[in-house]
Amino acid sequence: MYLPEYYEFCCRVKMIAGHDALEKIPEALAQLHAGRPLIITDKGVSGAGLVDTVVDAIKGGVDIGAMADDVPQDSSLKVVNHLADVYRDNKCDSIIAVGGGSVMDTAKGVNIVVSENADDLMKFSGAGALKRALRPLIVIPTTSGTGSEVTLVAVVKDHERHLKMAFVSYFLLPNVAILDSRMTLTLPPAITASTAMDAVAHAVEAYTGLAKNPMSDANAIAAISLISNNLLNVLKNPSDREGRLALANGATMAGAAFSNSMVGVVHTLGHATGSVCGVPHGVCMSILLPYGLEYNMHKNAHFTGELLLPLAGAEVYVGTPKHLRAGGTIAYIRKMNQDIHNATDGKHARFFEEVKDRDGKRMVPREKLEAIAGAALDDGSIFYNPEECDYEDFLMILRAAWEGAPLDRTLIKGV
Amino acid sequence: MFFPDNYEFYCPVKINSGNRALEHLPVELDALNAGKPLIITDREIAKKGLIKKIAGAFKDSGITMGIFDGTPPVPDLKLVRRLMNNYRDTGCDSIIAAGGGAVVDMAKALNIVVSGRPEDLKEVAGENLIKNPLGPFVFVPTASGTGFETSRFATLGELSFSSRFLMPDLVVIDPRMVTAEKADAVISTAMIALAHCAEAYTCPAKNPMTDTYAYAAMQFVGENLANVVKSGDKKGRLALANAATMAGIAFSNSPRGMVHELGWTAGGISGLPHGICMGILLPYVLEYNINSEGHHMSDLLLPIAGPEVYAGTAENLKARKAINFIYDMQHDIHDITRGGIPLTLKDAGISKDALQGIAGATVGDGHTGFNLDDCMVILEHAWEGKPVKDGLQLPVHN
Repeated sequence: MYLPEYYEFCCRVKMIAGHDALEKIPEALAQLHAGRPLIITDKGVSGAGLVDTVVDAIKGGVDIGAMADDVPQDSSLKVVNHLADVYRDNKCDSIIAVGGGSVMDTAKGVNIVVSENADDLMKFSGAGALKRALRPLIVIPTTSGTGSEVTLVAVVKDHERHLKMAFVSYFLLPNVAILDSRMTLTLPPAITASTAMDAVAHAVEAYTGLAKNPMSDANAIAAISLISNNLLNVLKNPSDREGRLALANGATMAGAAFSNSMVGVVHTLGHATGSVCGVPHGVCMSILLPYGLEYNMHKNAHFTGELLLPLAGAEVYVGTPKHLRAGGTIAYIRKMNQDIHNATDGKHARFFEEVKDRDGKRMVPREKLEAIAGAALDDGSIFYNPEECDYEDFLMILRAAWEGAPLDRTLIKGV
Repeated sequence: MFFPDNYEFYCPVKINSGNRALEHLPVELDALNAGKPLIITDREIAKKGLIKKIAGAFKDSGITMGIFDGTPPVPDLKLVRRLMNNYRDTGCDSIIAAGGGAVVDMAKALNIVVSGRPEDLKEVAGENLIKNPLGPFVFVPTASGTGFETSRFATLGELSFSSRFLMPDLVVIDPRMVTAEKADAVISTAMIALAHCAEAYTCPAKNPMTDTYAYAAMQFVGENLANVVKSGDKKGRLALANAATMAGIAFSNSPRGMVHELGWTAGGISGLPHGICMGILLPYVLEYNINSEGHHMSDLLLPIAGPEVYAGTAENLKARKAINFIYDMQHDIHDITRGGIPLTLKDAGISKDALQGIAGATVGDGHTGFNLDDCMVILEHAWEGKPVKDGLQLPVHN
């Protein structure tokens, strides 16, 4: 195992997981000396009946203060302030967030406002601005991918002032993450797949990146193994409760790994593709992941090769000669994408040319690749990537990932 | 990976590990809203100059601290009360425990009383009776300890405490603190980590989170223990301290197993470090449970022996192979220490007559769920050094 010269690791979120995990919420709130939560969610989640499931599971044990399901797709300061008023007007003492990344970002923002009595949220942005514990926050993810339930970051947009505020603090970590198989049971296959591959990308980049450490590594390995062992089964049999729980647990562990060990070029280019073309994050991750590994292989083939064990199991790992394991890992991830593509009737895109919007229109026109590479230059996530990347490198990776051709590694400068 | 229907996992501990880790202490204390720590340690650690290293980390920080370096091997309530008054009179607001074992136990007990009522520790002795978070608590390990330091447990004399609030807020593993130690102290700490992890990893109540931490800790112990004992390998010592931390986390989220309970009692009776007793008992208990309902013995082979051996072993032989690997590891340690580390309870100086007492104390009032006959079978075999199950070959050593 690898032990770096120095590292820090922290994941203080209590995890309550299972097929009846929701029922433990009243007890968890009581331990936090709370009992009147504000439930924050979005229309999609409440429309799918998931909030009803949560409410049914907890209503005997807690006094629900209020329920708000108007979180927009994109977090916004206006909504945060509005929900803080709802919290106060209804004398709530805690928050339960049910949903994905933007619901959790919103809930974290609301928590800052109500805990600090903040009239200007901006004062608390940046690292180190929060000095004490916030109100109890319980999060219930409804996808298995982002890992937001264990990250110490929240992003809230101020649409009026055209600002994006980022908050970073250990105090933003939720007190409890509830992983309940009922919350992801009805997730459609293509979304199940892309969110799961998002989690795989978190774990893989954390494990192969410059800030890796034994605690993140342990989480990353377990996450990859859980997802690799269960994803295809779940796609074929969506009501597989145990498989759903395994994916949820994997995503949480991947979140713990990357929030402590950072990510690299796959995320850099993924963020840029998302902002220029609006491609969902998980789709970008699954397409870019093998390319990022190929690009960095001359720096970290050893670590990439070790991932063949959790991905493919001990037999395949041992049966692959050591010097071929990194390539084996990359091929295995490509095969996962192909298998997922088949299992979702082609809905899971394997390369950027294949990414289509709802109307069947191509989302990433080839002529946009330059703009994406340009946007990537402004993304801080490249900092922990093993190889230094410039505009030309970004473009080379993007072109290959657009076509679906393997990277020509002879063109990589460091090789 | 085995999935229980429902499970919980909690680790409030932040870990800072590596070069100049101590130098982060002022910033970390500030993040915990603290600015005046009381350092708790013992004479031996102070004599090695280790406390000066901690104090040095606060140079230029403007932070002043109290230091108590008189922790005895068996601290008592009177001392805790004295320190409580001292802590309050001098305006301390946090505790840094430097060392292992009694130092940390006493520091945890102190943290209970300085963090509010009840000042009478007896009122919160037991399971989950501490209801509120305690004051900021930092643990700085040295090379050896009990392995309980990162855990939710603490003992003070007759009193034992179990609460998630007893897990440290921060563990600072600095190579300057993890200095060379006597072999038996290092081995005891590593064996506790190994035993706790092997039990967490194979028990019916395991979950993917405890598996993850246990797996990593077992790997670290397997890869580093022999080297550290042989050559004092510096990086290996750091890895073992990391392993002990991970093991404490896995252990805190798992039920206490039979190796732990028997080893704890046997250590108390024999005067040997608890970890040495747990190390002796580990393969025997695993063997006893090899086919027990709900146990996951085969899984153990991968972290213990690595993927090559795991993949090359037939499914029905994996459990036995894992146990044989542990026997082998014990024999290696025995050889490296030229017999200094005993392989049987008999060689550990425990008389055969004492076994009944160990079993009885372990079964206790029945809260452990173990029965007397099971305990006796294991103890008798571990005393004599003969396999529990027929057909299980002990490795041959010349």
